[in-house]
This record gives sequence, C-alpha cells and structure tokens, in this order.
Amino acid sequence: MLKKIVFNLFAWSIVLMVAFPLFWMLVTSVKPQFELFSRPPTILPQNFTLEHYWKLLSDTNFLGYFWNSVILSTTTTIVVVAIATVGSYSLVRFRYRGRETLAFLVLFTYLLPSVVLILPLYLMLVNLGLSNTITSLVIAYTTFALPYALWLLRSFMAGIPEDLESAALVDGASRLGAFWDVILPQLLPGIISTALFTFILSWNEYLYALVLVNSDDARPLTTGVMNMLISSFNIEWSLLMAASVMMSVPLIIAFAFLQSYLTRGFGAGGVKG
Amino acid sequence: MADVVFANVQKRFGSFTAVEGLDLDIRQGEFICLLGPSGCGKTTTLRMLAGLEFPSGGEIRIGERVVNDVAPGERDIAMVFQSYALYPHMSVGQNIAYPLKKRRVPKSERAEMVAKTAEMLQLTPLLHRKPKELSGGQQQRVALGRALVRDPKVFLLDEPLSNLDAKLRGHMRSELIELHQRLGRTMVYVTHDQLEAMTMADRIAVMEGGKLQQFAPPQEVYRAPANRFVAGFIGTPGMNIADGVLRADDGAWVFEAPGLSVAAGDLTAEAQAGPAAMGIRPEGLSIGAGPIKGEVQVVERTGHENIVIVRVGDGMRMTCRTAPDRIWKVGETVQMAVDAAQAHFFAEGPTGRRLNRAGATGALLHPELKEATS
Repeated sequence: MLKKIVFNLFAWSIVLMVAFPLFWMLVTSVKPQFELFSRPPTILPQNFTLEHYWKLLSDTNFLGYFWNSVILSTTTTIVVVAIATVGSYSLVRFRYRGRETLAFLVLFTYLLPSVVLILPLYLMLVNLGLSNTITSLVIAYTTFALPYALWLLRSFMAGIPEDLESAALVDGASRLGAFWDVILPQLLPGIISTALFTFILSWNEYLYALVLVNSDDARPLTTGVMNMLISSFNIEWSLLMAASVMMSVPLIIAFAFLQSYLTRGFGAGGVKG
Repeated sequence: MADVVFANVQKRFGSFTAVEGLDLDIRQGEFICLLGPSGCGKTTTLRMLAGLEFPSGGEIRIGERVVNDVAPGERDIAMVFQSYALYPHMSVGQNIAYPLKKRRVPKSERAEMVAKTAEMLQLTPLLHRKPKELSGGQQQRVALGRALVRDPKVFLLDEPLSNLDAKLRGHMRSELIELHQRLGRTMVYVTHDQLEAMTMADRIAVMEGGKLQQFAPPQEVYRAPANRFVAGFIGTPGMNIADGVLRADDGAWVFEAPGLSVAAGDLTAEAQAGPAAMGIRPEGLSIGAGPIKGEVQVVERTGHENIVIVRVGDGMRMTCRTAPDRIWKVGETVQMAVDAAQAHFFAEGPTGRRLNRAGATGALLHPELKEATS
C-alpha cells in the first residue's frame, strides 16, 4: 500500500514537472503586462486579457509565419511519408543485393549531427538557387526525417504478413493493386505515426530554419517568432507566450485526433499465427 | 486428362535447392495431397503452382497452358493459406467479394455470388463482421469462401486445417471431402499430417529433401512404400525398421539382424548381399509364439487395441499392435513372430528403394487372402 502511494507521488511529481511550464505559458499569455513581474507572482491571472493574442494577429507577421510553417510541415510530411512508404516496402518485400547495407547507410546519415551537415547542405541549396525558400527547408527536413521514417515504417511493414499480399495476388490483384488494397490499410497506423513524427519535427525545427532562410517571406514560426519578439535588449514575454500557445495548438489538435490511430491496429487479427 | 503437370521442375534459392526434378501429373478433378516433413519442398511446390514463386527450371502446366511466367491472378486458381490471410480491414462479405471485384464482376452479380457462397458455408449471419471477430473455424470457412466464390479451375490449400483444434479439424476434413465431391474440381492440398493425406487424397505425393519419393493412392503408399523414407513416414505408430544384412541362401534371400532372421523370399534384381533394412508394420508382428525373444517395455491401451513396445536383441525397440483382450505386463519376456508376407525389405540408406517384388505385395493387398493361406 505504502509502495503504491510512494509510486503514485513519484509519478505525479513527474507529471507536474512536465506540465508546469505549459501551464505557466498559458497563464502568462493571458496576464496583462503589468502583472507579469509582480511580486509575489500570481498563480492565476488577476486580470484576464487576450490583448497579446490580438496584438500578435493584427500587428505582427505571425499569421504569415504560421502559414509558412503549415505549408512547410505539411509538404515535408507528405514527401517523407510517400518516399518512406514505398522505400520500406522495397526494403521488406524485395530481395536484392545490398538491401541491408542500404538500410544501415540510411540510418547512418541519421546518426550524423545536423551541425555537420548543415553547411554543405546550405552551399548545395544555394547552388541550386533555392536559398531563402520554403522548398530549401522541405529538402533539408526531408534529409533528416526520412531515415528515421524509413526505419519506423520498415518495422511496421515487416509486421504485415506476406500471406496477405500473396492472397491478394492470387485473388487477381496486380502488385500495385495488392499494395493499395491490402498493404496500405494495414500500414495506416504506421503511416500516421510516421506522419506525426515528421510533422512535429518540421514544426519545431529551429537550427536549419535559422541558417537556411533569412527572409520574412519564407520564415517559419520558430525563427520568425524569435526574430520578431526577442532582441538583444528586450524579450516580449507575454507576446512570446501567446505565440507559443498558438504554435502548440495545431500539434495538440493533430494528436487529439490521431492518437487513437496510433494504438489501433497493433493487435488487429485476420491472420492467425 | 492431365489438368496440372509438373515436368522436371526445379526451384533453387541461391545455393539451396528446395525442389529438384519434380514430375507430377495431376488429373482433372483429382484430390492430391503433397505430404512430407517441414522443409521437404511441398509448400514451395504449391507456391510455384500458385505463381507466388517462379521455378528455376522445368515446366508447369495448368490445362494446356504453360504457366511458368503467368501472374498468379491470371492462372485461374484459388488458394487457401495456412494463416487464412483474411484481409483484416474488410468485412467477411468484402473478403469473399474481393476476387470478384478484382475480376471486374458487376456489382449486382457479385452480391448474388457472395450470398450463394456464404449460404453454402453457413456464413450468412457473419457477412458484416470483421475477421478478428470470428472464431478460428469461422475464419477458416471465410478463407474457403473466398476461394470458392469464383469457381476456379484448381484449388490450392496450404495446410488449411493446422490451426484448428483436433475436433474441428476432423469436422472440416469431412466437409472438405464432401466439398470436393460436390465441386469435382482439382484440389492440391499441402499437409504434414499423414492422417489428413490418407483420409482425403485420391493420390498422395510424398516429398522429402525437395524430391518426390512416391506418388500413389493412399493404400498403395501404406502397403507398398516405394522406399525406406516413405515406409517410415507413413503410418501411426510407425513401421518398425531394423538395420541388418541380406544374405543369399541357396537362391533365396535371408535377412538377418541381431535377434532376428527372416526369410525374404523373392526380391527384385536390385537386391544385393550386404547391408539392408527390413520394415514391418506393427500389425505384421504377433506376440505369443515365435522365434524372436524380447522384453515388454511399454503398453499403450487405446481401447480398441493395444500398442506394445518390445525390446529385442541388442536394444532395438519393436512396436506391435495386438488385440485388446490380452494384457501384456511391462517387464514380461515374450516370444514374437514376423509375418514374412508383410515384411518390406529396403536397400541401404535413408531413402533405400523397396526390394520386394510387386507380386509379393499381392498378398498384402488382400489381407483376407493371406489369412486363408496361412
């Protein structure tokens, strides 16, 4: 019994530690400026205000950055999931020389620190005439999201019994037809996990965005907000917190809708082992 | 008319040979079992017929058509997988309709055919369920339904009953036999279970090490096994096989092993003096009187018979089938006799050929005749 209580206390203290900054972010974003630095600090806002949100949306380029981030993350996710799905199918189902080596080489690129890759990548993108574009970021994010996505989907793909595909082939489907009718529906939980992973990665990425894009037209939220609200002399805390809240909203929505998919399908039957 | 033909078919995976020089002529409407231990090449053979593997050499024909390079969907076959391979995201109805959909059967016709098949397999109340909501036996029937709905030329079944419990397996076995009689279609059935092969097949193809060992009706496989492997593989309890030597004695062959000596009579021209083996089924041995002395080690009572294991000579164990009325005690010393008419003689080696003359098996094929003469 005591053990259970201690364990529960421990678990809850971890939850509190993780949740407090989020709570503080939310609270700070709705406090008026004068209340921010009052001592002792107020836990709940004495005066509730949405002025920071309003100011962000009306007076700044927040929506522009937001739109850039949406386009950037969505495109990256689509590109990565499409390539990783087809790639993992190839790695799992086809037998060819160097298949395993290829898979390990792909993982190896993922293990390199991004700082090592960023300058060569920057120069290549400049040579391609892509500097300061969203496309350059899509390419950059794909290079580091794809290896992990490929490995993630590969394990999902390996979990799909080959018999299912064979059955579809015997039933008259072409290889592509079998892929579409049978493999893809089975792979859906994997595709959703991979898509979420890629989306979050590109949504939160900072370093590449900082180095590769230097114009407000293409800046995503991460560097955009930093650039706008943090200067050497001043940090606009309340605006920053309001921006952070709004940046988190799309991820929270995506998770809320898709988390059931993440767990669904793992135990799905149909093939008896 | 031959419906399915394998002509000198080979299958190699890298340096491993899975199937070697396979020749099979399967007649239209025949129920064929490919039987053998795991890794004998039977599933590879079936998958080659399905078009899921391509032969490395030789020719496979279905009807008049060489199908070596024909895609599985264009072979007019249907297959039931060991794992059932039901599409988990589709309902039972959609599963059964899938082969029709892929062959562009019009929707209204499709519904009718699915309904008919479901009716036949008693699946009608389950049509809207998902596969994972079904029991093993029901999943099995859906897999059958998906194969039956299209009325293909050849049915391929890959150990379809191995995931069912014993009672249901017996039930499905008789259902499959009935289904085969009703449809009259060629069926090729892979199994490692000799009981399934013996009860269902018109002919059994026994395979081992990628090679066909014997292709014959069940009774012949049992009574005149082509070689030592087939003899040892078929039959429960298995055939007693004693290693010994063949010796020519005044023109007649005699087989000798520690503790026993049996007159082999007339053998084929292949017979040579030297190492050989003798096989005798448990029903070919009798306990009570005879020249062989042994000690009873195990007695298994099944109710309608007793299985007695006797230790003979230098430690060889011989299994004997006896009537249930006489109880043998463990440790008892007994005398045994070999019914020479039921003895098989094999050349040396694990797949040594059977040396009995065809005529010698005549007595075996008619047990009542044998009893009359002895």
